[in-house]
Amino acid sequence: MLVSKEDFAKYPFIIGAVDYVKRLDLKTDELSQPEFSAIVTRAEARIEEALLDGIIKWESRLGYEIELLSYPVAIIFVSNIADNYLKKRYALAESKRIQALLKEDVDEKLTEIAISIFGWKVKRLPLEIYQPFDFSLSFIDYLRNAPNFHDFRWKLVNKHLINGEVFLQKDEFSRLISEEVRKHIEKTINTSPKVELNPLLLQRIEHIKQRLNIRKERIRIKEQPRNIISAAYPPCIKNFYDYLISGQHISHVGRFTLTSFLLNAGMEIEKLIKLYTPISDFNQRLTRYQVEHIAGVRGSGTKYTPPSCETLKTHRLCPGPDELCSRIKHPLAYYRRKIRMIKK
Amino acid sequence: MKNPRKFIIQKFSEYYRDNANKIPLPTSYKKREFGFILSDKGIMLRHKAFSEPRFFRDFIKLITPSDVYHSAAYYKHPSREMGKKEWIGADLIFDIDFDHISTPCTEEHEYWTCELCDQAGVGKQPSVCSQCGGSKFKMVAWLCETCLETAKSEALKLIEFLVNDFGFPPQDVEVCFSGHRGYHIHVERDEIKQLDQNARKEIVDYVQGTGLKVSLHGLMQVSRKMGQKIIGPDLNDPGWSGKIARGVYDIIVTYNLQQLKEINGINKNIASLIFSQREKILKAWNTGTPWGSIKGVGIKTWEKLVETSVVNQAVSIDTVVTIDIHRLIRMPLTLHGKTGLKVVSIPSKSLERFDPLRDAVAFNEGTLKVYILAAHRFRIGKEIYGPYERETVKLPMAAAIYLLCKRAALLTD
Repeated sequence: MLVSKEDFAKYPFIIGAVDYVKRLDLKTDELSQPEFSAIVTRAEARIEEALLDGIIKWESRLGYEIELLSYPVAIIFVSNIADNYLKKRYALAESKRIQALLKEDVDEKLTEIAISIFGWKVKRLPLEIYQPFDFSLSFIDYLRNAPNFHDFRWKLVNKHLINGEVFLQKDEFSRLISEEVRKHIEKTINTSPKVELNPLLLQRIEHIKQRLNIRKERIRIKEQPRNIISAAYPPCIKNFYDYLISGQHISHVGRFTLTSFLLNAGMEIEKLIKLYTPISDFNQRLTRYQVEHIAGVRGSGTKYTPPSCETLKTHRLCPGPDELCSRIKHPLAYYRRKIRMIKK
Repeated sequence: MKNPRKFIIQKFSEYYRDNANKIPLPTSYKKREFGFILSDKGIMLRHKAFSEPRFFRDFIKLITPSDVYHSAAYYKHPSREMGKKEWIGADLIFDIDFDHISTPCTEEHEYWTCELCDQAGVGKQPSVCSQCGGSKFKMVAWLCETCLETAKSEALKLIEFLVNDFGFPPQDVEVCFSGHRGYHIHVERDEIKQLDQNARKEIVDYVQGTGLKVSLHGLMQVSRKMGQKIIGPDLNDPGWSGKIARGVYDIIVTYNLQQLKEINGINKNIASLIFSQREKILKAWNTGTPWGSIKGVGIKTWEKLVETSVVNQAVSIDTVVTIDIHRLIRMPLTLHGKTGLKVVSIPSKSLERFDPLRDAVAFNEGTLKVYILAAHRFRIGKEIYGPYERETVKLPMAAAIYLLCKRAALLTD
């Protein structure tokens, strides 16, 4: 089904497209030759669109061949620049292009990509009976990507789940495939072998790097304030904190949340350990171990961040959102934003 | 008086001597980690692995653990320390325990033991121990029939979710009585082994109804030519939509006026209105248009009814257990150190008839004279015992061991 050059250009990650490019057996050295300059230019444009617009355009008017071949070239460039921000941004922008195309494509192509490339269990639904749904996807495959989306409509609890299958509309299914594609492209970039590029191509890469640096400068996140402002605690943290001060029991997840929150907000380890003194089962040595573990001083060296709002809800530790909560997804995001509001 | 701890270890040792060979090892046991609580020290021995069932069986006969666990996870190197095990996958597990379910009987079975001496008692803990003057007490969970029944009905609800909504074949859903306060449910299928923590969290949220938005299940106000109209899910809808509809139907059928008035966010007059019009609402349900069938009952009220219905239909589980992909769970036919009952695996279709206080009894032979400090009424097998207070009683072995494990009784000389 997915055999035309148009399909290859639209979905350059599918096996047919990859094989087609392989058979051409192009060498990176050849890319600096004039007959390939349209391809290299389009590859550069792809990356630029990713940086500036966050989505790559579908440029069918250049011809399918150029559109298809510029994809692996762009991957070589991105992988060569080896910047994590760019890698992620590029994969996302490609996946958005693909999502838009999938939405408009025929149903069979969506199922074919899902089944043959990703091995998903999916069925097309006869329209009359299952309206408004178009596809049913195994919940296992649904959960590969849906938890990455934060809107409530993606929660499994808000979906029709029947006998292990999640019922989906076409735009939803396109979104799930494109998320899998995003991960697939990221992996392709990260596993792409390092190639030597000639000076002409390196010049192009220099140009992209400059654009990248301008972009990164603009989004540079300001350092967090280091003194703790308790008035900016979100309701959940305020609760845990009050419990702690009054010596009441806090669940394990609750303690972890509070500890990692305060550490990330900049509290010193010693001060934090002292804070735990009122708890009846206080054990200085164990507390020190746990706090230092969360701080990343011990063990694996990972510095932990508190769980997201959604995880706290799952553990029934969200005391109920306030107005600001509805606009954030993480206790630390609440804290940062509240500080900005207080300072104003 | 003799040390009850030594006696319990001796009885546990006899149990394992006679029964260790019957204990089935889990599938792919070579890839799992085993854990044991050591009877005398009360500490956990972890990271054990066995290459053959007889090594496992010899091991428990040798050490007589008070509790036995295996990992729900599979590892390349199960006996290495946590960071070096190399996780391969994990079964999907659920823990239903009274700790997570609020039952009306909690106050009836409060029980405390003194941390410094062997004093114990029913009811609220005293401020100081009358025997030693100590002020530190431990609250002990008493096995209560009401609680056990509640846990069982929660387990049945969960099985329905797993079979109907998630599509697991009933024979792949294993239910275990934990030997104490609840049930474990264990799904072993290849396709779920790779689920990550985020995916498992979504499953937890699904069975608990967390994050459910009623409008996404079709309850909403729409504008029609004739004016505003409320539409909503149907009784026969699949998944949560149908559960919501059936749950609201149940509320209308079974709640009395007082219960309706107690629903959070429902106006007392509207509660009366619903109560007086229930025949009409139920009739409207047969024609498929109950939502909005009563003038004066608006979308906000229906939403509140749905919220209550979600709470009634959802299952209360220990959220941490399901999300943790390295969790240890109890092994069937091993003993629970806090009761002397055994962990029992139950085919999901037989759960309804399962009686934990009869079917999980491990010590069926002999009697024992014990001095009981204090005890609520309790049942083991067919017999009901107690309440007792400071008296010496001759009890069947299972009942006596139960009290000893709970530290509610001492051995007589």
